[in-house]
Amino acid sequence: MEQLNTEPTKTTANAQKPFRMSVLVCAGTGCVSNNSFKVMEALQDEIKKHNLEKEIQIVGTGCNGFCAEGPLLVVQPDEIFYAQLKVKDIPLLVEEHFLKGRPVEKFMYTPPEGEVAIPKMSDIDFFAHQRLIALRNRGLIDPEKIDEYIGRDGYTAIAKALTEMSPAEIVQEIVDSGLRGRGGAGFPSGVKWQLCAKQDSDTKYIVCNADEGDPGAFMDRSIIESDPHSVIEGMLIGAFGMGASEGFIYIRNEYPLALERLHVAIEQAEKYGLLGENILGTNFSFKMNVVRGAGAFVCGEETALIASIEGKLGEPRPRPPYPVESGLWGKPTNINNVETWANVPIIIDRGAKWFASIGTETSKGTKVFSLVGKINNTGLLEVPMGITLRDIIYKIGGGIPNGKKFKAIQSGGPSGGCIPEDQLDLPVDYESLSEAGSMMGSGGMVVMDEDTCMVDVARYFLTFTRDESCGKCAPCREGTWQMHEILTKITEGNGTLNDLAVLEALAEVVKDTSLCGLGQTAPNPVITTLRYFRDEYLAHIEKKECQAHVCRELNTYIIHGDVCKTDGKGCGVCRRECPDKAITGEKGKAHVIDQQLCGKCGVCYDVCNFNAITIE
Amino acid sequence: MSEQFEPKIVAFFCNWCTYTAADLAGISRMKYAPNVRVVRLMCSGRVDPQFILAAFRDGADGVLIGGCHPGDCHYQEGNYKALRRFHLLKPVLEEMNIEDERFRLEWISASEGDKVQKVINEMVEQITKLGPLDLEPISTPETLDEMLEKEQEIAV
Amino acid sequence: MISLKINGKPIQVESGTTILQAAKQLGFEIPTLCYHPQLEPYAACRVCTVEVKNEKGNKLMTSCNSIVEDGMEVQTDSDAVAQARKINLQLLMAQAPAAEIVSEMAANYGVGDTAFLSENAEEKCILCGLCVRACEQVAGTSAIGFANRGKDRVVTTPFDVQNEACITCGSCAFVCPTGAITMDDPFGREVIHDEMTLGPDKAITVPFMQAVPNAPAIDTEACIHFKTDACGLCAEVCEPEAIDYSQKDEIEEVEVGTILLATGFKTFDASRIAKYGYGKLPNVITSLEFEKLSNASGPTGGDILMQDGSVPKSVGIIHCVGSRDDNYNKYCSKVCCMYSLKIAHLMAEKTGAEVYNFYIDMRTPGKGYEEFYERLLEEGMHLIRGRAADVSDWAMNEDEEGKLVIRAEDTLVGAVRRIPVDMVVLAVGLEPQPDAEEIRRKFNISCSSDGWFLERHPKLAPVSTFTDGVFLAGSCQGPKDIPETVAQSGAAVAEALALIDRGYVELEPNTAFIYEEECSGCKTCIPLCPFSAISFVEDKNVSEINEALCKGCGTCVAACPSGAAQQHLFTDEQIFEEIKGVLSYV
Repeated sequence: MEQLNTEPTKTTANAQKPFRMSVLVCAGTGCVSNNSFKVMEALQDEIKKHNLEKEIQIVGTGCNGFCAEGPLLVVQPDEIFYAQLKVKDIPLLVEEHFLKGRPVEKFMYTPPEGEVAIPKMSDIDFFAHQRLIALRNRGLIDPEKIDEYIGRDGYTAIAKALTEMSPAEIVQEIVDSGLRGRGGAGFPSGVKWQLCAKQDSDTKYIVCNADEGDPGAFMDRSIIESDPHSVIEGMLIGAFGMGASEGFIYIRNEYPLALERLHVAIEQAEKYGLLGENILGTNFSFKMNVVRGAGAFVCGEETALIASIEGKLGEPRPRPPYPVESGLWGKPTNINNVETWANVPIIIDRGAKWFASIGTETSKGTKVFSLVGKINNTGLLEVPMGITLRDIIYKIGGGIPNGKKFKAIQSGGPSGGCIPEDQLDLPVDYESLSEAGSMMGSGGMVVMDEDTCMVDVARYFLTFTRDESCGKCAPCREGTWQMHEILTKITEGNGTLNDLAVLEALAEVVKDTSLCGLGQTAPNPVITTLRYFRDEYLAHIEKKECQAHVCRELNTYIIHGDVCKTDGKGCGVCRRECPDKAITGEKGKAHVIDQQLCGKCGVCYDVCNFNAITIE
Repeated sequence: MSEQFEPKIVAFFCNWCTYTAADLAGISRMKYAPNVRVVRLMCSGRVDPQFILAAFRDGADGVLIGGCHPGDCHYQEGNYKALRRFHLLKPVLEEMNIEDERFRLEWISASEGDKVQKVINEMVEQITKLGPLDLEPISTPETLDEMLEKEQEIAV
Repeated sequence: MISLKINGKPIQVESGTTILQAAKQLGFEIPTLCYHPQLEPYAACRVCTVEVKNEKGNKLMTSCNSIVEDGMEVQTDSDAVAQARKINLQLLMAQAPAAEIVSEMAANYGVGDTAFLSENAEEKCILCGLCVRACEQVAGTSAIGFANRGKDRVVTTPFDVQNEACITCGSCAFVCPTGAITMDDPFGREVIHDEMTLGPDKAITVPFMQAVPNAPAIDTEACIHFKTDACGLCAEVCEPEAIDYSQKDEIEEVEVGTILLATGFKTFDASRIAKYGYGKLPNVITSLEFEKLSNASGPTGGDILMQDGSVPKSVGIIHCVGSRDDNYNKYCSKVCCMYSLKIAHLMAEKTGAEVYNFYIDMRTPGKGYEEFYERLLEEGMHLIRGRAADVSDWAMNEDEEGKLVIRAEDTLVGAVRRIPVDMVVLAVGLEPQPDAEEIRRKFNISCSSDGWFLERHPKLAPVSTFTDGVFLAGSCQGPKDIPETVAQSGAAVAEALALIDRGYVELEPNTAFIYEEECSGCKTCIPLCPFSAISFVEDKNVSEINEALCKGCGTCVAACPSGAAQQHLFTDEQIFEEIKGVLSYV
């Protein structure tokens, strides 16, 4: 049975189907934190109550991707998609759909523009335009059962690699596929693998960078929670190709569910002889270690990551020498991102030519993005390279909610930049995004609307990079702090044109002279917002105005007396709520804000039920 | 009135320590009784018990042996031998009714000129009080040869 | 060899050279802050940034750690480089406003004030990491390190508590470019007097200017390499590779014919006289400590300074400390009066202070000494004839506040006086070395009274001892000054040479011998000889004495029951005659 937009497997044709229905409940962190486990429990209770255990299979899968609609589940074989389920909904659902065979419309997904529910998952726009390669198993298997991974062609690639291919052939396959590092820099993975394979050393290491420090990014987390074996298999293939016998998965400590699933997966793989000595009966042995991070964004940078694994202070060191020459404990080390590793098994399985047929000339394959911010369909999506930003935002993302106007899309996390409306037809690939001043990054995409202040956005990202700077080199340590100070000054209405000049000069120097990627990319939000939204900066400085009304110091709150008196009848709620006691007025009469006392907190604006208060 | 009794004391001084101390006493113009007649030997270990007996026989009222302090002997251990002989000889002399104060062994180092002075003065004072030693004389052979003759006679 | 161009000038260097080193060879000095030639480059300050041209365009990179490549074209002072340095230095100025070296460097680029915000006007640390690297690579203890991230980054010990791993070597303070780390005396003293008579302040020094050989030696007690196996910088920088850490003290056996003892003296330990306050009151020093202070290669460069670093305005010199004293040493140490006058003169000359001498007698014998004393009197030195009773810091009136008060009876005036001074110098006497007794036993000589080595004759044989071949020179034989020591040394050497020259020694004739016919073979004598000079001849059944080994003590002779053993010059017969002889007169 073909699954939704994922690659067909060779084994499903002969799969046994003992159950008449499979209920795939999303158990990724997003849905779990929204009580999907409770929903699962309720389902299991109900199924038992109706004696349907032998007929209905309940599977907890990894992240399904449509996080805004969780808790969600998919009923196979009909592909019925249910969203935003609550525990109290379950008895009705079970009785109607599972017992009586009547899908329940009110629990289905309804798009924001329309009124009609869409039953089938593949009909929903969010899913229709995706192509799942790295996420090929998402929402379809229980990540804690290795058999299900194997059932969907898992571990056939390593078998092929060990028995039919030589290490050099494996590396060549990756070169030919055009796979580029999915962690952010987009370095051709095949070239890296070749360099590592070339090194003459008895000991080599393979590392998976699962530190995923970008705020709001959860691509790697989802891959590990949904399909940890894809990473393990990818690393096995890489180790065989490059001549390594030990690997490390460096995963941030803030991913407890992913960590647990990883440990379970490794244990199961070891039991099956897929990890450890003499894998699949060959001479190839591979030991897998899991190392937890300790809360430092900078440890996502490869040399700092190496230092962290070695137990040293997590600070980067200058390159050369590169890790492929001298990495962990001085040995050749190949570091790749989680998503990169997840792509490896299917490339070996299907072939480099197949992979290279997807995507653009320079950027092959697909990319996983996390689409968040002012967007209707928040979630995780995987699309082929070359899709336009416009399609992502409007086709998959469902457009901007509440009828607001699109302003910019920020890609690449705190290292990336903002892209305005007139660039939306850019194809998504490494080069185009860099030229526009942003970067692909690890795949975070934040959508911003007219209510976003771009100066504040720059300040927000600088807050992050300033806090995460390791502090070794002066430009990053001092520069991020100083840039943040200047931006804060501007958002508070105290900025001067000289500040702007200093900011620009500083941003350039920090970019050019910082020791590692963190510092080198930290000024990007500043540089791109200055490039595309310079007028906002000037408005803040010259007119002391924030058009998005985000910078509170620059807001003036005014009560429209006529509205207040007529509609609100001087209800006095704002007066009572005002912490500065700046509002005066009597019941029944129009109220007034004393601008001298007003602390610009905005509470009055929020509590007024009659829209009598506006911000100038 | 009879003359004041002046005892005759024979002193066997080792060359390195006591003799030099006595020299030092002299250079330092220390005053001590003139009754002591010094026989210089290289080491107090040279002192044969026969010498002491000979001294008493030949008219000494007291005998003084002076040697280096234990551990300081120029020849390492000679003074220990002297000490042994001294202790062995003492009871023999007592049997002959020779008083304790008449036979004395002192350790005097090269810088102890004052000790030489003190010991001698003390000894002279004590022996003066004791008075002269009266031993019955026996005929003494004059030469070694005569002594040998006498022994041969006895042997035969 | 790698070929590259720096500022348009071509140069060839060994592969593995950094851009910084290559530039230096060409005479281009690139400014640095976190770089030190003996430490691993860290590339944290970014000040050494240069512009390098490659096929993709121009790139800015740090020169301290970048290895040269063939065909590289480097610009050390282009516009981009200048801009980068200007901004980075301003950032550092804002972070550490009190770090003068940063402001000075920035001034070279036309920067007066920083454009950036400062938080702490007193901050000196620029987080260059030199101290951390020095502690790790030189001291080998990693007692300090970085803690916290970003702007909160600081250099500290683990958990901010005293770290026992610190060996107080001072490498961190030495290497800090801004003076953010200092090594201070825990008591706040500027000049530490009581450490002056101790060893040198570095682990590797030439012991003193006149040392032979005049080459540096490593004090293994103080050396970091011997403590932690790290450092080793001296061996690194020594071009002829003359340093060998594996050398050990060797004990050599040398056969000699003559020995000259010149083991010197030690000064009297002034702390034994508690009432002078040495070791308890500040600014009470001994004459030897004064000498070190006054020496131009000493810790203060020749300045006479008190503990707080200031110059004394009045000084008291107390004579006969530990000499001419029933409680300590009865003898006069001979040299103290003259050196005290020298000290007084130097003190007055260097500091302009009022100098007071407290003496019992002024002993200035010989050529020119009395004249020197008179000159000092004319120069206005104060002399108080009276032994100083005590030194205290108790003030009786305003003038004595904060001063050391010397109390003495001025016997010429007939009154007890209290003299307040800033500094007190104790003229300590001379004493034999503490191991003199042990040494003299080793060489089989005697000590005179008070522990000085004994000469053969005080008037006629001042340089030889009672043991043939062992000679004395210098103050080990008795307190004396330098001219006398030199004279005595000459004499001792002359006698020693005469002995060596002769090529033979005369033995004493008073050796022992055995009359074979008389010997009964009882072997009583054999174990008695401490020199093993007597052996038994089996076939003759008699004992035999080796004349060369016999020292002539006569112990065997006294023990021999048969009188077979006799001593030349001291035969039994001779002694019997002597006894008779001494008793024969009245």
